[in-house]
Amino acid sequence: MDRVQKAKTVLWSIVALAASVGTARLLFGLGATTNLSDTTPWGFWIGFDVMGGVALAAGGFVTTAFFYIFKREDFHPLVRPAVLTAFLGYVAVIIGLLFDLGLPWNIWHMIVFWNPHSPLFEVGWCVMLYTTVLLLEFSPVPLEETSRYARMRSLLLKLRLPLVILGIALSTLHQSSLGSLFLIMPFRLHPLWYSPILPVQFFVSAVALGMMMVAFESVVSHWLYRRSPATELIGKLAKAVVWVLGVYLLIRVIDIVASSELGLVFSGSRESVLFIIELLISTIIPLVLFSIPVWRRQSRWQAVGSGLVVFGMVMNRIDVGGLTMLSATGGSYIPSWTELSISFGIVAAAGLVFLFAVERLHVWEKRPQDEQSQQFAMPRFDVISSVWLGNPGMASRVKYSLSFILVFSLGVAFLPWEKIQSKGVPQVEALRARGGDTLVVDGNLDGYGVAFAHDKHVETTGGKDKCVVCHHMNLPGDKQSGCYQCHGQMYTSQDAFRHDWHADPNGAKLACVQCHTPGDERNAKSAKQCKDCHSDLIPAGAAVVVDNYYAPPYADAMHRLCVTCHQQKATEIEGKQALAQCASCHGTLSGQNVLAADAPVTWPSSEGSVFLPSQKLTRSHKK
Amino acid sequence: MEALLDFAREPLFRFCFAVMVLGLLRVLVLDLINLRQAYRRAGDKSVPWKRTIVKSLEWFVPVKRVFNNRPLYSLFSILFHVGLLLVPIFLVAHVRLWPQVVSDWWPALPKFWSDMMAITTIIFALLLLLGRWLSRASSALSRKQDYLWPVLLLIPFVTGLICAQTSVNPKGYQISMLLHVLSGNLIFILIPFTKIAHCVLMPMSQFVAAIAWKFPPETDEAVCATLNKKGAKV
Repeated sequence: MDRVQKAKTVLWSIVALAASVGTARLLFGLGATTNLSDTTPWGFWIGFDVMGGVALAAGGFVTTAFFYIFKREDFHPLVRPAVLTAFLGYVAVIIGLLFDLGLPWNIWHMIVFWNPHSPLFEVGWCVMLYTTVLLLEFSPVPLEETSRYARMRSLLLKLRLPLVILGIALSTLHQSSLGSLFLIMPFRLHPLWYSPILPVQFFVSAVALGMMMVAFESVVSHWLYRRSPATELIGKLAKAVVWVLGVYLLIRVIDIVASSELGLVFSGSRESVLFIIELLISTIIPLVLFSIPVWRRQSRWQAVGSGLVVFGMVMNRIDVGGLTMLSATGGSYIPSWTELSISFGIVAAAGLVFLFAVERLHVWEKRPQDEQSQQFAMPRFDVISSVWLGNPGMASRVKYSLSFILVFSLGVAFLPWEKIQSKGVPQVEALRARGGDTLVVDGNLDGYGVAFAHDKHVETTGGKDKCVVCHHMNLPGDKQSGCYQCHGQMYTSQDAFRHDWHADPNGAKLACVQCHTPGDERNAKSAKQCKDCHSDLIPAGAAVVVDNYYAPPYADAMHRLCVTCHQQKATEIEGKQALAQCASCHGTLSGQNVLAADAPVTWPSSEGSVFLPSQKLTRSHKK
Repeated sequence: MEALLDFAREPLFRFCFAVMVLGLLRVLVLDLINLRQAYRRAGDKSVPWKRTIVKSLEWFVPVKRVFNNRPLYSLFSILFHVGLLLVPIFLVAHVRLWPQVVSDWWPALPKFWSDMMAITTIIFALLLLLGRWLSRASSALSRKQDYLWPVLLLIPFVTGLICAQTSVNPKGYQISMLLHVLSGNLIFILIPFTKIAHCVLMPMSQFVAAIAWKFPPETDEAVCATLNKKGAKV
């Protein structure tokens, strides 16, 4: 198999994985398929797909500026691939953003609902307009394939210079505005990355990254198609990037020294190590490498140097985009494999479109010869399907589709199904309420809960004979079982019936036929009811009807029980309408009812009321 | 054993099932592309649509066609296919494995009928195997995999039938279930890459014959010329 064929098979496989994961993301939501959280809502997708993607696509405006504005004719071979790369890059950014947005179908909102004070609004508009500009800039290439659109093509060619100027203006705006986004986060972004001149840093680094992305793409695609690399041209680009990288390094060093943060660089913290590595990879090493004329003229070092800039600058965007905020937010975040696969899948898809365009359109001065696209080439033996393939074009289709379905299926197999079934809701065990006469109902111990005057409720409900009003289940060997014993999960339902224990030789030792009727299908419907054996499981007079043993989440069960009763009492008892309000239990967060864990609970006098106001149970407010 | 069973039931099953669905879709699409290419290259572009559709439908309901030749064998084949398709798709225990939104409306066979159909499928599979082996014409045409397929298909039916019986002890149940799930998974993954792909390609087969099975124009004359029989009537 040829080099291109191998590369395409790998790219199709990555796209397949992203397709399976992406489908799950769109069907089941962010919580179920990513490691993003309310604390860390911006993760790998924003850092890599959006911010890295925009910066990677900067080669489009840099190269067109070189050729059309500065009249550097020698850069002509790079213009078409650079514009195509930029266009595909921006499309990839938009697709990546669709996966990251919680409600992707609302992406059009910024067109109608304007917020001109927001840098994100500006970035959104610029990206939208610049993608259109890039499409118009590249359109003459596919249009030249047919004479039918000659007039449209000639019109676009006439508009080319204004389009190029518009493209440069839009790029300057949004490349820097991506940095402006973080100006409102001085206490969130780590000081080594936060700077009042972040917009300038972002713009200069985007110029360097754009140039090196064009170089890297040229070196890699020439290698794939076994063409002699454009070494001399890339050498010129490398020489120019030395200046840009030099300026960038100077800006960052001066900025850190001026803001008195130099000590942080050598503090040995995780961020300081990250900072040094990032600066070495993105700037210092390539700067040294390309400063040596002999090295920057060698294809091998051109690949290494441009690759380092690409990797390092994207790393910078990921660092700024969320990674270096973790120390301030206290969050922990490692991108899940699902996030990584979608990001790489989008890049792989863009790569496939690029290769397709290079093979079918006049992107390079001389089109590459793809062996298998020659229709009259001799057929080959296909090792996978063990057949002679009559049509060489078909052979590659067979291979790519096979790799696609196999990897897609692998994705389906290993998707995080547990998280998907829970819709991303975490499995948090509910713990028993603590206290004596007054119980602290705070199942997940997060400090937000309700102080529940248990004795008062016993009294007002009718004494100890009326426990069944709330306690609607007596577990075997127990009386008035606690809520948490069946409603054992805070946010997800759980099966209160322990089937495995009943069948276990070390548990109840029951044979299947003791519950399931012989000959019938074994399921919950055909089995005996629990109360058939445990006669006092559901006490007489219980207010809650138990029709199955799939217990709702603790938080839901508590609310359902309390609110149902409160709503009823609010209508029955004169002057107790407030009982139906949330504040009758949760109160206000004024702090007047802050509960100290070891302090006696006192409540504002509300004569006759047994219901307790406001609690943010803050244990740090002791004494 | 339970961990192995969980693996076979969950990720492995999902993988094999997805390969089957996507794989069948893939062969169908590749077949359509091939068909389109054959049509574009054909000298004679006329397609007898009506006749081809009627022929396809006749093969869908093969009663009329198959009774012309080896009626008993054909009858066994039809009955075998009925059980082979209906039992796995409509068995109550399988229907329950779907998410509730699906299982609520998915029709299910009564247990008695699914057990009976499983038994008849096993019997007819054995008879077909015997028929293939004993008939000289069939055995001459058969490859190794043609004998292996009925045997492989028998494994999930036999083990499934064992699992469906309430008197099976837990240990036997687990081993049977593991074999049942693993063999089922193997069948799923093999379907798109073997002759079983005919389940989706079958509606296309008559069109392949009608569109692609044509000689280029003037082939008869070229053949005659090659055989030094120029001018001969073909």
